Amino acid sequence: MKIDITDYNTNVTPTWCPGCGNFNIHLALKKALVELKKSPSEVVFSFDIGCNGNGGDKIDGFRVKGLHGRAIPLAVGAHLANRKMSVIASIGDGGCLHEGIDHLIHAVRSNYDITLLIHNNQNFALTTGQITSTTIEGKEMYAFPKGKTEGNINIGELVLSLEPSFYARGYSGDIVQLTEIIKQGVKHKGFSVIEIMQLCPTYNKESNHEFFNGRISKIEKNSDIKKARSYVSNKNKLYTGIIYCNSKIKDYYSKLENRKGKKTELVNEVRNYSIKNILAD
Amino acid sequence: MKNRFSVKFGGRSGQGINTLGEFLSKALKNSGYVTFAYREYPSIIKGGFASYQIDVSSEPIFASSKYTDFLLCMTDESFDKYVNTVTKGGVVIHSIKDLKINEEDEKYIKKNKIKVIYLDAIDIAQKNDAPVIMANIVILGAFWKSINLELKVLDKIVLDYFSKKKGVDLEAEKRCLKAGYELDTIKDLKGRNLPKKKRKNWNSSLILTGNDGIALGAVVAGCRAYYAYPMTPATSILLKLGNTYMDTGIIVKQAESEITAVQMVLGSMYMGTRAFTATSGGGYDLMTESLSFSGMSEIPLVIVLSQRAGASTGVPTWTGASDLDIAVHAGHGDFPRCVMSVSDATDAYELIQDAFNIAEEYQISVTLLTEKQISESLFNIKTLPQPKKIKRGLVKNGQKRYEITSNGISPRWIPQKGKKTYLSNSDEHDEYGISTEDEKEIVEMSEKRRRKMDTLKKKLPQPKYYGDEKPTLVFVGMGSTKNVVLDAMPLTKKRLGYLHYQYIYPLKFEKILELNKQGVKIVLIENNQEGGFGKLIKEEADFYIPNTLRKYDGRPFFVDDILEYIKK
Repeated sequence: MKIDITDYNTNVTPTWCPGCGNFNIHLALKKALVELKKSPSEVVFSFDIGCNGNGGDKIDGFRVKGLHGRAIPLAVGAHLANRKMSVIASIGDGGCLHEGIDHLIHAVRSNYDITLLIHNNQNFALTTGQITSTTIEGKEMYAFPKGKTEGNINIGELVLSLEPSFYARGYSGDIVQLTEIIKQGVKHKGFSVIEIMQLCPTYNKESNHEFFNGRISKIEKNSDIKKARSYVSNKNKLYTGIIYCNSKIKDYYSKLENRKGKKTELVNEVRNYSIKNILAD
Repeated sequence: MKNRFSVKFGGRSGQGINTLGEFLSKALKNSGYVTFAYREYPSIIKGGFASYQIDVSSEPIFASSKYTDFLLCMTDESFDKYVNTVTKGGVVIHSIKDLKINEEDEKYIKKNKIKVIYLDAIDIAQKNDAPVIMANIVILGAFWKSINLELKVLDKIVLDYFSKKKGVDLEAEKRCLKAGYELDTIKDLKGRNLPKKKRKNWNSSLILTGNDGIALGAVVAGCRAYYAYPMTPATSILLKLGNTYMDTGIIVKQAESEITAVQMVLGSMYMGTRAFTATSGGGYDLMTESLSFSGMSEIPLVIVLSQRAGASTGVPTWTGASDLDIAVHAGHGDFPRCVMSVSDATDAYELIQDAFNIAEEYQISVTLLTEKQISESLFNIKTLPQPKKIKRGLVKNGQKRYEITSNGISPRWIPQKGKKTYLSNSDEHDEYGISTEDEKEIVEMSEKRRRKMDTLKKKLPQPKYYGDEKPTLVFVGMGSTKNVVLDAMPLTKKRLGYLHYQYIYPLKFEKILELNKQGVKIVLIENNQEGGFGKLIKEEADFYIPNTLRKYDGRPFFVDDILEYIKK
């Protein structure tokens, strides 16, 4: 059966602000899945809370809109239960770097075969514009007219410090490139971290299209970790593309000794088991 | 105590007390006796005082007596701690050089005619070309002789155990055991004897902890993933499932936090396999937002809550039962849930199976309570019951995942290629899972979820009654309190009863009201300070039980506690 992009549409009217980066991110996501020939029923989305999470009813697929900061561990549990489904976790910079940063760190080192989309709009937007660790320093934000006191987190530097198997950066204003990045991320066997620089015309007017266009520099797929680190720490340019990919790192499930040679998924295995062999210690 | 015998091994953490306790339990079992073994240890790796007490009987027993007939002691700290728990005419065998006994203990020893025997166990071990650590094996051998059981039974257990360990000198172990067994000082020792009656074919019986029961029951029930963060006294579930994972094929994951663990369970359960997690009070607190999420999204969830003593970090390696309240009430907003409580290894094995069935059929969270006393004590049972039937309440495919139904249960199907997709939402939602803020839909959907509680309550079994047909006093309780009251029953002429709750919430309280109508004295027995179960009964049944027996010193109820209470 031919899969069409409209298969991914739902009848729910989008509630994002005009010009919100989420429109394009959803478009790129749908396009990528269609091009990968995946039907909605082959995909599991784990949505966080926030503006990105409000997309949970605006794309078809098996979806969970869970708790703030917890999109990653729920996605991991889903993936381990049935690897035949493509699992995509979607989270904002607030949920990912604040409420649930431990999950990001441990998921990178565990290298679960799922895809993570970090919607980085540099603020907590759904709660009307609070500071995150990617907010521009000195910028007036909710409750803080003088801007933030704390320092920043550079997502690329953080992820690359953990020896990831896949880190890419895209931009919500470039659907073509973002589609390709998401496709590569979903195909990659391992934890694919995709940071998406996302326009937020309501609470982050400074980071607009002109801002990004003046700084973005596209790169080809790279597998040199030193180069990758130099890309993400560059203060003047914003490099986009597959910043780092290492296919040699095995994914978590493949390394499980007791699952080697098993043909079934955990979802196919629920039945009574004998405990004869494990009664004694 | 009539028909019971007890022995306690005392020392410090790091002296192999655990291993010795297990050896003794197994050897006594293989000699035809029923055992119950209770463990005390500090929350440190080396030092403090640790003990293993093994109660022995000809009949099934499930609790400890407060006093011990034999104390085997390796450090002065444990001597000081435990000597005043030795029975009249009892025996202490110790290996403490230059032991100084304080005045009070000296008085107690004299008054109760306790024999205190010193063995230079370290010297004996060294003379037998064995390392100092094997002094404990010398004492074990000496004790075995003093109760006149066959050496080869114990010998086999010790050697079986150490042959699996690397770098242990098996011959030295053997020599130490024999040296202790053949000591002259022990030969003529007259202590209390073991019960006369032995059980036939009892060597094929099982020795399991409550946590073993949970792990085994989960395997039987088709659980395929276990995600957990270490926390005493739940940790040994991880041990059992981890050590057996090559056999079972279960994915066992030590997660980076309790929140991760419970979220992974939710992800796996959403996908349609069976998974669970276990923790203690602190970890459960961290999981409570997820409990609320499970309630709203109707994703089945199973959490084992193994209780320990005290608030905050409390006394982490000691027992208590103060967490019923969080199991029933934790988590924001209104949502349905189920709370159950295990009492022993068999119960644990059966109830975890029920927990999966109820979680899946009713699409709710099930919190299965246990206590350190149950999780880590060794229960000696003939065999485990047959597996329970797996009930999942799944449909093949559907349209409205959150359809409004009269019993509150909506169709649930496994996410799979070709099936109707759906959204499971932490937002309030309509029948398709789509977020809503409509007042009518909010009420309809939350009332639908509430109806699951009524449906479940009707289906849940009544509490189990044990004891006299015409009782004058009935204890009402849950968890390990059952074990101690049942153990006390044959030791008293009083007409005792015990009403045992396995299925706690939603609460079936009719039997309590019936007992009250009959004019029976009802006593709530709880291993806590605040009386959480009594509060729940008051809340649900509007019935207040004034008589309570509570204990909250980190220790379980001992059989003597019950006997003393009913004497009053």
